[in-house]
Amino acid sequence: MMAAAAKALMLRDVRLLLRRRGDALQPALFALLVVVLFALALGAEPTTLAKVAPAVLWLAVLLAGLLALESLFRGDAEDGTLDQWMLAPVPLAWLVLTRTFMHWATSVLPLLIATPFLAELLHLPRVQLPVLLASLALGTPLLSLIGAVVAALTVGMRGSGILVALLALPLYVPVLVFGAGSVAAAAQGLDPNGALLLLGAGLVAALVLAPLAAAAALRIALS
Amino acid sequence: MMSYQNYVIAAYAVFGVVLAWDFLAPRLQLRAQLRAARLRATREAARSAAPELTR
Amino acid sequence: MQPVIRWFHQLGSPPTFDRFAARWAPIAYVLGLLVMAYGLYGALFVVPADYQQGDSFRILYIHVPSAWMSMAIFALMAVYAAIGLIWRIKLCEILAMACAPIGAAFTLITLATGSIWGKPMWGTWWDWDPRLTTELILLFLYLGVMGLYNAIDDRRAAARTAGFLSIVGVALLPVIHWSVTWWNSLHQGQTISLFGKSHMDPSMLPPLWAMVVGTHVWFIGSLLARARADNLKREAGKAWVLKMAGTE
Repeated sequence: MMAAAAKALMLRDVRLLLRRRGDALQPALFALLVVVLFALALGAEPTTLAKVAPAVLWLAVLLAGLLALESLFRGDAEDGTLDQWMLAPVPLAWLVLTRTFMHWATSVLPLLIATPFLAELLHLPRVQLPVLLASLALGTPLLSLIGAVVAALTVGMRGSGILVALLALPLYVPVLVFGAGSVAAAAQGLDPNGALLLLGAGLVAALVLAPLAAAAALRIALS
Repeated sequence: MMSYQNYVIAAYAVFGVVLAWDFLAPRLQLRAQLRAARLRATREAARSAAPELTR
Repeated sequence: MQPVIRWFHQLGSPPTFDRFAARWAPIAYVLGLLVMAYGLYGALFVVPADYQQGDSFRILYIHVPSAWMSMAIFALMAVYAAIGLIWRIKLCEILAMACAPIGAAFTLITLATGSIWGKPMWGTWWDWDPRLTTELILLFLYLGVMGLYNAIDDRRAAARTAGFLSIVGVALLPVIHWSVTWWNSLHQGQTISLFGKSHMDPSMLPPLWAMVVGTHVWFIGSLLARARADNLKREAGKAWVLKMAGTE
């Protein structure tokens, strides 16, 4: 039953994505803009850019993902799907997990694919790219899961854009620290695996706990 | 060792100001609530004294 | 045992709590002030200047108790919120929300006094010391809870939502602190530990304990006062409020 529900939900999300292909590209465009603005603000000197590239790229992806969080539950809240979810015979946490995964795959995965190109713009040393991509691959799902809890808590609130960001950003700090820090460690010649493993451990914990917390938050917010 | 006195005074002053706000804020809220309740009570009394229009 | 349980139940009734808070808040305020006054007097005039840090060391007597309060209140807020969510006890929802501004105030004091203490020590107003950085993030968490509480119209739903956020925050706060400590060691090589090194002479401790106790008692007073105000706001229009206001 759970597998069938997940498959149905995923198919629906893919169909919705195909109807609104533009929406999936918006986070990537935003990240590109952030990179451009940073480059303009910092001056185009390659060594300066190279030094801050990992941090700027991490921030660009993080902020783009934060903006995309808005659309995680909004559509389903507006048309009453969430109410149906709460009545469904499958656990609400399972539906939340499936939805969050699809949201990550459609909104954030394009960002990861765009990252090597953005990295070139900032003159990121090629040798740091694998660590950066690994940290993003582990960190962005983690951010999506944490963000899902906050998005669930504020679902249905009008004009909550900045508030969601203010609520989520403190919770994002550890992910940012270990994510950008792993690349910084690698740049300093230290071993990045410790930080990456911590991100992995966080991801595993979040895969279990975040959907449960988000489900509880949904019930509270929609009660 | 330059005068640390100003720093100490500044720190203690911050403490005093913030605690003063912490004391005053609920007091002001309470005063407003009680005042609103009193006004409401007077309105209710006036309303019950003057009879409503009846058909 | 039975009378205690019954007292707890009765305290949950809005008029009973109003009477309780009206009576005990002033007492707590006064007691807290007295204990703090004793502590501050000792901190300023009795304790000798630290041989390393001179008189600026006296700031510790405000900074450290405030830091402890900022953490303790956050934890208590989450506990109240959890009880309110699990058992749907309205008073606990009110108490949880009343904790937030007080905790934010102590966090602000911690940050400001940490910065003021840091200026003669580090030479700058701010250093990304792991503890101060965590305090700053804690302030954002407090402000988030307060903002979320104010953003929702239905007071009970608002308290439950913001309370849930505080529980998530309390669970993640150790992780945040740990990550910032790791980050600090990565980026700064040596850490100037502002607070670790000085072993306090026993004669320096009594004012510190006095400040710890004093701030706790003050907190109780402030909590009761704010909870009372919130309670009245929610019950506005009810008969007992009108009657009580008429006789106040």
